Amino acid sequence: MSAPKKPKGKRAAPKSAAHAVSLPEALGEAAWIEADRALALAMAELEEVEAASNQVRRAEALMLLRQALARAARVRGFQRLCGEPGSVEPYDPRRHELISAPARAPAQVLILAQGVARGGEILVKARAKAVRKRAAS
Amino acid sequence: MSWTLCVDFGTAFSKAAAAPRDAWARFNPERVRPLMLNQQGEGNPFLLDSAVFVDDDRILFGRAALARAGSDPNSRRAALRSFKTLLSVGDLERALNTSAPVSIDPHRMFSMRDLIALYLSHLTACIARAIGADPELSGADLAMRYAAPAWRSSDGANAHANITRLFGEAAALRLHLGADVLSPGGVDLQAARAGLEATRGAGAPEMGLIFEATAAAAYSSIGLENAASHLIVVDMGAGTTDIAALAATGGRLGEISEARVTLKQAGDFIDGVIANIALDAHGKLKTAAQQAEFWRVIMADMRGFKETLFATGRAALRFDKRIVKVAVKDLERDKDFRLFAGALTGAYERGIGALRDRALADGRREVEAIAVGGGAAAPFIKALVQRKPRNAGKIKVIARPATPAWAHAPAFNGNLAPVFPQLAIAIGGALAPESMIAARGGVSQA
Repeated sequence: MSAPKKPKGKRAAPKSAAHAVSLPEALGEAAWIEADRALALAMAELEEVEAASNQVRRAEALMLLRQALARAARVRGFQRLCGEPGSVEPYDPRRHELISAPARAPAQVLILAQGVARGGEILVKARAKAVRKRAAS
Repeated sequence: MSWTLCVDFGTAFSKAAAAPRDAWARFNPERVRPLMLNQQGEGNPFLLDSAVFVDDDRILFGRAALARAGSDPNSRRAALRSFKTLLSVGDLERALNTSAPVSIDPHRMFSMRDLIALYLSHLTACIARAIGADPELSGADLAMRYAAPAWRSSDGANAHANITRLFGEAAALRLHLGADVLSPGGVDLQAARAGLEATRGAGAPEMGLIFEATAAAAYSSIGLENAASHLIVVDMGAGTTDIAALAATGGRLGEISEARVTLKQAGDFIDGVIANIALDAHGKLKTAAQQAEFWRVIMADMRGFKETLFATGRAALRFDKRIVKVAVKDLERDKDFRLFAGALTGAYERGIGALRDRALADGRREVEAIAVGGGAAAPFIKALVQRKPRNAGKIKVIARPATPAWAHAPAFNGNLAPVFPQLAIAIGGALAPESMIAARGGVSQA
């Protein structure tokens, strides 16, 4: 016997016993309902980026793609981790992913791309490269 | 365990949250429980659309009411949404006994009181369903409160008695109407009329009233060693922007009445300004039909558009093969917005002036400022509470974050903070100790 089909179209209503699971899960489910729409918009805009016939249309579609992804990230509670690209900060192996492994752990790193965290959990570490100490003159 | 449940019926959404009765003394963020009121499968489950639509033969509630109201753009029929504005008027009794406008009730069957009682019956049914589904709350001893702006008239006790009577009638009406009151298909008109007649005068429940500014003080102060003794609250919701100041006297937070200002421009007004800026930015929509369609599209996702605009300084929308871009600086240049911003600054400085005088009289040199409600993320609201007011004098104004640190607790997995500003008043109302309550039963304690 085949499994019953899930309803299509609108997202199914959350189970009325959602709190019986846990409050964080219920909050997460609520956030996903809003994030789903933003991710769907991002998918549509990705197609526009790929099909863009000129630089202007591509830049506009990229702007909408970035906007949709940022919205999904916001409603899911994502936060940027570490400083902006180009900033230098003390190396922390829990927060930084080095693009090349040096022989010794660096004292400081240059941020290449920020990481992403949510509620204290690090989802993606910041990409960074070791900052070499300048030789004393 | 004993719990306190607080209902916040905002202009756009109704919310409810529960917290253990002893939360103030033994605060544990993980025990805060916002309720999932909206089970219609669309939108955020914690936000119940405050809406009633009188259809041809049925009454619809919440998301179903809005969907029906928006299904025919040419119709002049509208959903009733302004409960909060109505419940805040000076002469509540008179406002409640007014007939609903024809655009809302073409059958001329219902007064405003009837429609509010019907909506509250839906809301209380949603609350009962959420409680029943929550193993911590189901069967627990629950004390009920509701949050409201401070009464602008001197007849606050009477207004509180009126509202608790409405809740009593709504509770009886919910039982009378049965499962239909939760159905997306709504309630039969004649059954609604008969139910209203049968339950009129049902007893008022024991309910507490907490002023919204006090609820904001509660959630922003709870768990802190040095809770604010003097606080100004800027609450921008959908329908009104309220400025209120609070001062602690003898361990009890009371409102400084001369500081209170309510502006009728708020989130809905900002939405309209943004939509008009976007319409102008498109520049190619000449006919009324084209403009109406653009308006419908941008309004359908205005919450997301506005959130992006406020978070990043710009937002864009694809419409009719064009990309329409709006920047915060476009908003700041708008003539209507500038008038509003001026009025907001004036209201805030009036509140600061009153708070400054009270703080100095109480021997304090610091006051705190906090923004709450859906508008807390707006850059102009953030700037307002973060900059030093011109009339602060010797007082230092410290801005509190709109979302308290405890809402970022690992237990919530990052999922409470994004919705916190919208749930804040219900949560603060549930967390507040009895000493912060403005009224209980029908008796004002303010």
